[in-house]
Amino acid sequence: MDPHHPEAHRRMTRALALLAALWLGALVAPRAASAQAAAAALAQGMRAYDDLNFDEASGLLRRALAVQGADALAPADVTRALIYLAATELLRDRRDSAVATSRRLVLLDPRFRPDELVFPPQVLTLYEAVRRATPVVTGRAPPDTTIHAGSEELAMRLYASAFHDITAKLVAEDGRAVRTLYTGPIADSLVLRWNGLDSSGTRAPPPGRYAITISSFDRQGRVARMLRVPLQLVQAFGRVDTLPHPAPPADSLLRRERQSMGPALRAFAPGALAGVAIAVLPGVVAGGEDASGGRFVVGGAVTIAGIAAALSHHPGRSIPANVAHNDTLRAAWRREVDDVTRRNAARVREAMLGIRAGTPVLLTPEGP
Amino acid sequence: MKRVLLLACATFGVPLQAQSRWEVSAGASGGHEIVRSRPDTTRERRSGLVFTGEAVATRGPFIARLRYGQGHVTADTGTPPSPRRDVVEGEALVGYKARPWLTLWVGPHARTFAVPGLSDRRWLFWSGRATARGSLFPGRVESFVELWQGFTGRLSKPVESATGGGAEAGLQVRLARHPIWARLGYRVEQGRVTGGPRETVEALTLTVGYVPLR
Repeated sequence: MDPHHPEAHRRMTRALALLAALWLGALVAPRAASAQAAAAALAQGMRAYDDLNFDEASGLLRRALAVQGADALAPADVTRALIYLAATELLRDRRDSAVATSRRLVLLDPRFRPDELVFPPQVLTLYEAVRRATPVVTGRAPPDTTIHAGSEELAMRLYASAFHDITAKLVAEDGRAVRTLYTGPIADSLVLRWNGLDSSGTRAPPPGRYAITISSFDRQGRVARMLRVPLQLVQAFGRVDTLPHPAPPADSLLRRERQSMGPALRAFAPGALAGVAIAVLPGVVAGGEDASGGRFVVGGAVTIAGIAAALSHHPGRSIPANVAHNDTLRAAWRREVDDVTRRNAARVREAMLGIRAGTPVLLTPEGP
Repeated sequence: MKRVLLLACATFGVPLQAQSRWEVSAGASGGHEIVRSRPDTTRERRSGLVFTGEAVATRGPFIARLRYGQGHVTADTGTPPSPRRDVVEGEALVGYKARPWLTLWVGPHARTFAVPGLSDRRWLFWSGRATARGSLFPGRVESFVELWQGFTGRLSKPVESATGGGAEAGLQVRLARHPIWARLGYRVEQGRVTGGPRETVEALTLTVGYVPLR
């Protein structure tokens, strides 16, 4: 530094600062210029629309919407660009394009409604028709929640484009349904709640990757769209050790509930054997003689007595005392199962379940 | 004399309980008997009523049975009909209850046919028997089958050694809360002499008896 020329030193410092500023500006200028270009295209497109220059407006709005990545329009600007584009296409007599643009807007923001002061009635009517014909819900779960499974709930507000039926399920990573959370209609919005338990209602699903899927059905009952909200379940604290359910009463403890055939057969056998003996003994004892038919009177009487004895044991009939005994055992077992179920549910409730929600993804059967 | 008195008492259904450990029952029966004889190459069939009295005494597993019966049979075939025959038969057996359902017996068994004016013809066998009983309604109704085979036998006219065997089966009912029992039975037995006469007896019997209540 030259202490004899302070003015020259100040000039030098200013020149260096200006140079640094120019260099920094050169670095950031293209990005800012790109973002500004999307916004500027949107602004120019809107002006062109206001000037009824629809062809130019269409081109500018499409250019604004085409920008992707970090330079893309903000969500609110995208919404604005789409409704202006839909209006532009309709006023250019390109109804199909207007419908497609409107549907894209409905899927992006089911709650969006066009400004009645800005757009003409035919645009409002078209958008309303498309909205009603496009059942879709959107929603977002809290990104990180911790609940007591069974006693607290994860709440997720859903918004619908129009009145339609939905089914909301918690599904495992492999697609297996863990619990159905809601099945029924949705009008404008609905709060979807999950208490952290699976379909048994007694225990939380094991930690892992899950998703809440909300299927929107069209008027024909077909799945029109599905909103998928990824979830990561973690055991916050409090490990759950549930008790095993007691085994049902062993067969050795249960009594026979119906009369068996054994006693009846044992009662019938002596009569039958004696009857047969009476029929065949004359041939054994006095072979060659014609035995009298009178013996069949005795043989028949003995056999009939044997049949009566067998029937007196009521084979197959219910034994009320044994049925009552078995019912008592089974009732005691069911009480034990219920008790274990209650205790397990209490243990589950004491455990904390961590729920981390991801970004919702909208899926459609025919593609995005 | 004493034995005759005992038999008479048993025949008419008088219970005897000389000692508390003895169990005695008695009964009387009527039966229709059919006798088929082959004295030589001819055949004869006679039938008639025979009335029988019996007494059974039991002490522990040991048992004794006396039966005595008499009646007459007349010819069903033949011209001119042969004269009426009187029938007298009896047995005296001692037995042992080898199982609750099985009793083994041994003793003499005789049957005599008497024709007025002619000498009697008597079959006499020493026999072994087995009686099996099966309960249909416990304590009330039971069926029974009895088989016997003669160890030795003798026919008095003509005097020959004889063989024989027989069987009896039926149903015995004991009335509830009454000391009365009844038995419906069918009996068939045959005596034979090798190369000689043969006689087969069938009988349908109905017996009513008395046994003291325990």
